[in-house]
This record gives sequence, C-alpha cells and structure tokens, in this order.
Amino acid sequence: MNVWFRQHRFALGAAFGQVRKTPGSFLFNVLVVAVALALPFAGVTLLENVRPLSQQLSVDPEISLFMKQDATREQAQAVDPQLQHILAGSHAKVSFVPREQALDSLRAKSGLTDVLETLGDNPLPDSYVMKLDGFANSNADAARVDGLAEQMRALPGVDSVQVDSAWVKRLAALLNVLRMALLLLALTLGVVVIAVVFNTIRLQVLTQREEIAVSKLLGATNDFIHRPFYYTGALLGLCAGAVALGAVTLALRPLNTAIAEFARLYASEFQLAPLPPLGLVALLAISAGLGLAGAMLSVQRHLARLK
Amino acid sequence: MIEFQSVSKQYSADALALQDVSLNIGKGELVYLAGPSGAGKSTLMKMVAAIERPTSGRVIVNGQDIGRIKKAGVPFLRRNLGLIFQHQRLLNDRSILANVMLPLLVTGSPKSQAEGRARAALDKVGLLERANALPMELSGGEQQRVAIARAIVNRPQIILADEPTANLDRAAADRVLDALRAFHSVGVTCVISTHDDFVLGSSNARVIRLEHGALVADAIGDVAGHPEGGQA
Repeated sequence: MNVWFRQHRFALGAAFGQVRKTPGSFLFNVLVVAVALALPFAGVTLLENVRPLSQQLSVDPEISLFMKQDATREQAQAVDPQLQHILAGSHAKVSFVPREQALDSLRAKSGLTDVLETLGDNPLPDSYVMKLDGFANSNADAARVDGLAEQMRALPGVDSVQVDSAWVKRLAALLNVLRMALLLLALTLGVVVIAVVFNTIRLQVLTQREEIAVSKLLGATNDFIHRPFYYTGALLGLCAGAVALGAVTLALRPLNTAIAEFARLYASEFQLAPLPPLGLVALLAISAGLGLAGAMLSVQRHLARLK
Repeated sequence: MIEFQSVSKQYSADALALQDVSLNIGKGELVYLAGPSGAGKSTLMKMVAAIERPTSGRVIVNGQDIGRIKKAGVPFLRRNLGLIFQHQRLLNDRSILANVMLPLLVTGSPKSQAEGRARAALDKVGLLERANALPMELSGGEQQRVAIARAIVNRPQIILADEPTANLDRAAADRVLDALRAFHSVGVTCVISTHDDFVLGSSNARVIRLEHGALVADAIGDVAGHPEGGQA
C-alpha cells in the first residue's frame, strides 16, 4: 500500500513538474479546453435555474365542452353527472354555460353587438367549462388531460371538446429539446476536450520518449510510466473546468442585471444563481474525467509503440 | 544464472543476428563478450535484458525463460539487472543524482532512501562531489561512471555493460573497467561486451567471442590472437 501511495505521489509530482517546465503551453491548453467546457457549463447552469421554475408552474388546464347545436337543454344538463363521474378524483371545477349566457358574454367582450343582431338566432351552443387543479407541465399530466377529453367526446349530444393545455405540452417539449440540444452540445464539446488533451499528451510522450525508454530499461512498469500522463490529463481537465465555471459564474452578474429588469415587468424576482456546491464538484469531476480519458487514449496509443 | 540453449535470432530474412548460440554464465562470473561490430554481442545482451526475444532456442535468466516471460513480468526481471549502454542514455534535463535515483524510484523506494543510496553509488564511482551536475557538464568517462552508478544502485545480481569503454580514452576506460571489476569482486555477475583489444588484454577473465552471430570461442583470457586456446 505504501509503495502504491508513493508511486502515485511520485506520478502526481511528475505531472506538476511537467506543468512547471512548460507553464505557457499548459495555460494555453487549459484556456482552449475551458472555452470548450464553458458553453455546456453555461447551459447546465441555465437549465438548473429554469428547472425548479418550470416544475412550480401549475398547468390548471381548461377543458371546454360544446354541445351540438340541436341538443336540448335537458340533454345538455344530463351530461353534467356524467362529467362529474369522468372527473372524479381530478379536483375539477365544472361550470355550465348556457348558450344565452355565452352570447351575452360575447356581446359584452367583443363589441360585435350589431353583427350578432343580424344573425337572428343564437349561433352558440350550450357548453361546459372545466378547470382542472393540480396538473403539472409534465407529459404524463398532459396525456391524462387528453384522456379525460377523449372520454367526454364520447358522451351523447357532445359536438366537440377543446383542451387548452397544448402550451404545457409545448413548454415540456421545448425543455426536452433544450436538454437534448445541451446533451449533444456537451457530447460534441466533450470530444473536443478529449481531442485537445489527447494531442497535448501525445506531444508530451514524444518529448519524453527517451525518459520513457530509459525508465522501461530500468524496470519501470507500464503503470509507473503511464501514471504521470494520466495525472497531467486530469489536472488539465480540472483546471480547465475550474476556469470555465469561474467564467460562467462571472457572466451571471451582467446577465442577472438584464434579467432583473425583464423579470420586474412580470412582478418576478427571478435571478440566475450559480450551481450548488455539489453541482460544481460534479462538473469539475466530469472535466477531470474528460482530461483523464483523453490522456488514457493518447497514452495507450502512443506508448504502445515504444518497446 | 544466464543460459543460452541453441539460440538464434533473425531480424529479417537476410539479417541473422545470432545462430545456434549455446552458453552458460554462472553466478558471480566476469565474462567479456568479444567480437567485431555486427557479431551479435548487442543482440545477445538485449536478449538477457528481454529487450529482444529469441527466434528459436531458449534464453534463461535467473530461472526465467525470456521467450515465454509475460510483458508484465519484464520490468521485474530488469530490476535484477544493471544495464550500462555505450551511449550512457542519461537524462540530460536532470542532475546525475536524479539519474542515479531513477531505478529506485521506479520500484517505489522512498525518495529519501533512494537519494541516500544514489549518493552512496556515486561515491563508489568517485562522483559524489558532482551529484548536482547535469550529465552534459561531465566528460564521457564521467558520464559512463554515472551510468555504472545507476546500474548498481539497485544492487542487481547481473550487470550487463554494452561497449562501456567505447569512445573513452585509455585512462577513462581504465577507471570504468576498474569500477566494473570492483562490483564483480563482491559477487555481482558481470557481462561486458567489447571489441576493444586493450580491454581483453588487460584481463584474465572468461572471453566469449562471437563472429557473424556464431559463437567461435569461449575460454579464459583473450582468445583473439590464440585460437588454439579457445573452444567453439
């Protein structure tokens, strides 16, 4: 165990030694990798801020049921208990809107009194308006609302049923698209990070070719030779991750100033916050992991050629 | 300790480096490998260090069959060998002390212990006062003595020195050979390859002579000018 620990300490020291030898080159590589990491990190920060907001949004979808034009008032009222049955357990508020009331409301809101007078008969049907409580903007809840509407369409005398929760679906779909786009962006830029580290380590292997060859002749195991490069890759990823997170955190200040003005228009105090400590640690670990992966690929490929 | 059983090594169709070589080197022996350039001396040394593997035959070093040893086992075999190269192969970006410490560090020795032993090894070859110098600041003979210090710092059972006196003047070569003989005198098996007549003439040790990859003589003392004294 002591030997294992000592060899890792030696490898870490060798990695830092390499950084000290070529600080400019290391810094440049850190900046390149940091630029690649900053974009997905900013995306993660944004999504993490929007996620609780979107989860808190109550859908309260509204279902409007329109009877057929020729349905009698009795037929319309007979639908009510069936609606109550369908909506049992859904915390719904059901309101019956007689066609006369609908016409009055239309007259009052639209200012089309003259036009409506020319129609003679009331063109509006009896209808029901149902407000559903406790629905979130998830796909599952949207599907549930669709299911209720489907049952209502099958009731006798019903002409059409409208569900106005489509915007909820759109929001959920938009967030999914954003998540997917972020994932693809992160994957692409992850490959970029691995490629940069791969090339950095390749150059180091070439520079230290003689040292590697001599060490092998002196009895160094492959692990002993590989470890310093692994640490260098992980260190590069870690430093780049820290720089990227720092840049994203700094960028939040001016962004929040702009957001505050916008949010005030909606009586909101919404602000983008930096990621929580656990999130920061996770992103740093991912950065170091990407660096390590690049180093491992490079070492496996280039050191295998040395006898 | 080192055994070659009908060993041949062919690098390519027209490059036969060793052909049907059989020999035995016992523990604590001092053996010179003689022969002109291209005779197969370096190939033979490389096989002992598992840098090359035989095309046919068997090479046994410390009881391990080089032809069958797994890659992961090679470093552990080499830790019992002290390798000295014609061109030293010192790392020019670090002090000679750091160069000599390297074989100990690769085995996981504590740094303080490695430094102590490296200083002791440098002392044995008379270079302790230059411990912090860079290899480029030393003469060829001094660099070769650093290489010897690096080879013996791990207290190996076998020292393999490939043309250690090449490119050295007589005085420097003498000091290098004296250092190697000193280690032999304490029981270390030494195999020294050379094509330098003065090296062979200065010793009554066993000389194995190779020509065109074949063993042509194996006897005590230089057999180059006394073919009747050798045995092929």
